[in-house]
Amino acid sequence: MSESLQVQLKKGVLEMCVLALLSNGDNYAYDIASRMADAVGMGEGTVYPLMRRMQNDGLVTTYLVESASGPPRKYYKLTKSGALALKSQIADWKTFEGSVRKILGEVA
Amino acid sequence: MTRNEFMTRLRQGLVGLNPDYIRDVMNDYESHFDDGRQSGRSEEEISAALGDPGRLARELRAEAGFQRWENARTPGNLVGAVLGLMGLATIDIMFLFPFLCAMFGIFVGFSVAVLVMVVVGFALIIGALIPGLAWFGLTGGPEVLAMGLVGVGLVALGVGLGALFSMIVNFIVRGLVNYARLHFRLINTVAAQEV
Repeated sequence: MSESLQVQLKKGVLEMCVLALLSNGDNYAYDIASRMADAVGMGEGTVYPLMRRMQNDGLVTTYLVESASGPPRKYYKLTKSGALALKSQIADWKTFEGSVRKILGEVA
Repeated sequence: MTRNEFMTRLRQGLVGLNPDYIRDVMNDYESHFDDGRQSGRSEEEISAALGDPGRLARELRAEAGFQRWENARTPGNLVGAVLGLMGLATIDIMFLFPFLCAMFGIFVGFSVAVLVMVVVGFALIIGALIPGLAWFGLTGGPEVLAMGLVGVGLVALGVGLGALFSMIVNFIVRGLVNYARLHFRLINTVAAQEV
């Protein structure tokens, strides 16, 4: 796959991937960042602007958890509208993926 | 880059934003370094994976500017949001600048026009309601009634156009923001792949 196509595709699904991660349970940014970096090669620093935006859009909320070592840790939690957004994005993704697969099938 | 260098450059990039917001952002990245150290990575590795602090600051700044505009649609916040967007890409300023200037001019002009419409409309209504005020030499009952109705019409038109216009401006700004987000969010990854 050409690099530019990969990058374009990843850009489109970042938010959906983060929403999906959070639908499996609340999480903190460092863990989200390392998972996203491993899975789609996202720059770890970019997760913070993304989380801030998703918080502003009401897709996630935060709460603090006291930790044994160091300062309290900020956890992110999916909101109702975040769960709805995930659902509709997954539906969009499946439709898109299905149509691309169909066209590719005609070529291969 | 060491942790201190990273944090210093990030803070420099955020200068001028709301102090609470800056503290929040700095805390996010401080705990990222803490967590990274705990999982056995060096400061250099962590800051390399985080990406360029200057660029992160520009992205955070653009996001904050857009948020202020969403919260209060004032001309000042429009300028702030647009400047934040332009900070993302210095080259694009040259292309976008004339367009943005024109947009801002239209925004101000239209706002003034709507305001004038509403003010004149109210003046006509008041003139019609207060019997002693014989504006434009109008004295007859039907003429005064007509003046009042024209006033009501102007106010309604002004409010309607104002609402429509603010929807259009919001739509344009949203479009610009989405465009910017799509094009700049993953830039660190691209840079990392090239190295």
